[in-house]
Amino acid sequence: MTQSFPARLHGITKRFGSVEALRGADLEVHAGEVHGVLGENGAGKTTLLNVLAGMLPPDAGVVEIGGEERVLRSPRDAWHAGVGMVHQHFTLVPTLSVLENLALGLRSAAWRLRLPLADISARVDELSRRTGLGVPLDVNVEHLGVGDRQRVEILKALLREPRVLVLDEPTAVLAPSEVQNLFGLLRDLADGGRAVVLVAHKLDEILGVAHRVTVLRRGRTVLAAHRSEVDAPELIRAMVGSAETDPIAVGAWKDDGTPMPRVPGEVVATLARARVWDGRGSWALDDATLDVRRGEVVGVAGVEGNGQHELALVLSGRSVPTEGSATVPDGVGFIPQDRTLEGLVGDFDLTSNVALGLHRDARFASGPGGMLVRWSALRAQTRDLLARFDVKAAGPGVRAATLSGGNQQRLVVARELEMARDLLVAENPTRGLDVAAAAFVHGELQRLGQADQPPGVVLISTDLDEVLALSHRIFVMVRGRLTSVPDGARSREGVGALMLAANHA
Amino acid sequence: MRDALRRLGPAWAALLALFATIVVAGLMLVAGGYDAGLAGGALVAGAVGSREALLSVTMVRSVPLILTGLAVALAFRAGVWNIGAEGQLYAGAVAGAWVGLSGGDLPAWVLVPAVLGASAGAGMMWALVPTVMKLRLGVGEVITTLLMNFVGINLAAYAVHGPLQEARGVFPQTDPIAAGARLPALFPGTRLHVGFLIAVALAVALWALLRWTRAGFVLRSVGAAPGAARVAGRMDARRTVWVAFLTSGALAGLAGGVEVSGVTFALYEGLSPGWGYTAIAVALLAGLHPGVVVVTGILFGALEGGAGSMQRVAGIPATWVIAVEALVILSVLAVDQLRRRVVRGGVHG
Repeated sequence: MTQSFPARLHGITKRFGSVEALRGADLEVHAGEVHGVLGENGAGKTTLLNVLAGMLPPDAGVVEIGGEERVLRSPRDAWHAGVGMVHQHFTLVPTLSVLENLALGLRSAAWRLRLPLADISARVDELSRRTGLGVPLDVNVEHLGVGDRQRVEILKALLREPRVLVLDEPTAVLAPSEVQNLFGLLRDLADGGRAVVLVAHKLDEILGVAHRVTVLRRGRTVLAAHRSEVDAPELIRAMVGSAETDPIAVGAWKDDGTPMPRVPGEVVATLARARVWDGRGSWALDDATLDVRRGEVVGVAGVEGNGQHELALVLSGRSVPTEGSATVPDGVGFIPQDRTLEGLVGDFDLTSNVALGLHRDARFASGPGGMLVRWSALRAQTRDLLARFDVKAAGPGVRAATLSGGNQQRLVVARELEMARDLLVAENPTRGLDVAAAAFVHGELQRLGQADQPPGVVLISTDLDEVLALSHRIFVMVRGRLTSVPDGARSREGVGALMLAANHA
Repeated sequence: MRDALRRLGPAWAALLALFATIVVAGLMLVAGGYDAGLAGGALVAGAVGSREALLSVTMVRSVPLILTGLAVALAFRAGVWNIGAEGQLYAGAVAGAWVGLSGGDLPAWVLVPAVLGASAGAGMMWALVPTVMKLRLGVGEVITTLLMNFVGINLAAYAVHGPLQEARGVFPQTDPIAAGARLPALFPGTRLHVGFLIAVALAVALWALLRWTRAGFVLRSVGAAPGAARVAGRMDARRTVWVAFLTSGALAGLAGGVEVSGVTFALYEGLSPGWGYTAIAVALLAGLHPGVVVVTGILFGALEGGAGSMQRVAGIPATWVIAVEALVILSVLAVDQLRRRVVRGGVHG
């Protein structure tokens, strides 16, 4: 049977340096349907959509649009082929009016001294009537809320009459009521014959809107089905995978499911009814109570954006809770999930990067009041860390930005372990790493428990395999709340069921 | 070419920018129908052609440029875009002149520190307004410091037309400041004064601060990557901005006090030909390195010092030098972009 799809991707491969983001992913988009793309973080969802929208050229694979094979070299190519993208991060000019923003980049507006704003205004009015997307046109974008800004982005895309509309995590910035409005709109667009492709983190959102789903896992398409053919547990299983694929060396638990012997240490960090306000009308972290003891690994599983980042910041002493209390030790190491933004200074050399945080350590200070930095000692320390943690770098004097992602992460892990005398907080420590680098990080986390005076570890991760393999105790985090996972539910299915239950509670 | 650019150190980058500036400036002169060779010769001769030119013109001009250049370099290093050195300089000049005028016959060891301290303090107060607006209200300092320049320039104009005007009441200028408020000459018979040593000493001190102290490391981290400084370094960015911004203002204010106390011995309108703005070029060409600011400060001092001779000999308006200063900024930014692009390409490729 040969069927002509509005868009079809086949066998797409894409590498970034040492990281394989896509390893032969497929996507078939049907006309008149909303198509949800699911997957854990780092599964390749955004990369796949970027390939479809012409933002990234694939290393291998076939892109077909409207039944024709295409080579998309730029977003402009994709536009001409009929694919329009609404980005996760807005691309509007804040100081221009909505109408002027809509006019930007329109073909009819190119090479004119005066924008044909009246024409465009008429077209926008007509489009607004058809889609129900109402936005005031004469207001500057900077005065609009995020929901309105997103409507402007969508209008901007629709003005070019795409056959396929691609949205990358459109719900991430929206309040719940706005999400419902958006989904109604996407359904209407699909009913009008367009194909709509979207990525969203939250499973129930996709289930509520999509006619068809594709699940990616570690760069491959593992499931593609009509919505009516699958249920939530099946999708979760597809997302997190089964035990046979990519096993992680088992750490905290023996094969028979009993905990490895460990010496229960003293409590090093305590949260008591801690809450963090998100500034948008709800608690990002809600009523969290938790003790962390020396020598144990506390795992926190959950879908991105359920308050994990706030939890990590509070536990690592980077922020204080809005309500409740947090007691955290001085000797705390923190492996942030975004190493390029929060872990390293790309323009600094490796020694200076190791000094971040360690600059406060008495070992590396001299002079009155410890006001001087002992760079020679830090250089020696850096050399030692590079060797011990097998960081591939020419020496302590090279800039951090020149290292590969895996080696950057090794450096961050090395430094933070040095700092973690009492507590280590790791947030998605293996995100974006290749298998070898991820295995290294897992090994280091496990090795930590064998020290004489081991720190407590909090492992916050969206990678369920990682949490299951390394943690002594597991919590699920949904909508800012921590739910303890009983030992009997220590499995992908068990944790997945808990997530769903908490979600619908 | 790519590899060469990637390995290009800051010093070579600055030289490349300078070379580009000379080439473009020469082309501009030729396009304007001037004799570029003659102009260049006159510029060099006027700037460094004699002991008099070097010590009494170029080096004297370099002092406020070095001090304001240090102010800009320090602020930029901390990620604070202080464009207000000009206004801070004027605030310092007004305060310094005021103290110098009311000094009577106090001895120099009292009066000179008082003048310099007052000018630094006034520069700091001038930076306080934008600092508070940035940290308390979230108003960008580029705008506020720039606007404060106009207030500062006009404050000085008001002072010499009103409260501080000379006793005769003829010219918009102050009376000469007390003898004890004047900085001594460095070499007898030249106009070069002790302020040059102060500027060099401060440059060395700032270099040591940034390079060797914990506070300096915190400042560089906060400026280079605020996110990593906060999360990985657990550094207090607000405190760093406070300190860096106010210190920057103090340095620029000191430039005004040193000029009054070391060169003009009086305050008048148009005391600064825009040193606070030229300082941005001085600092950028120096790669924001305090030690190199001394070199680029002297270089720009030579450029301004030689401008007069160029006008006399080659008939090129002295204001043309302002265009050259702008060219330096553009060249530095262009070379920097070029390096970044090549380096980034290298990482992904």
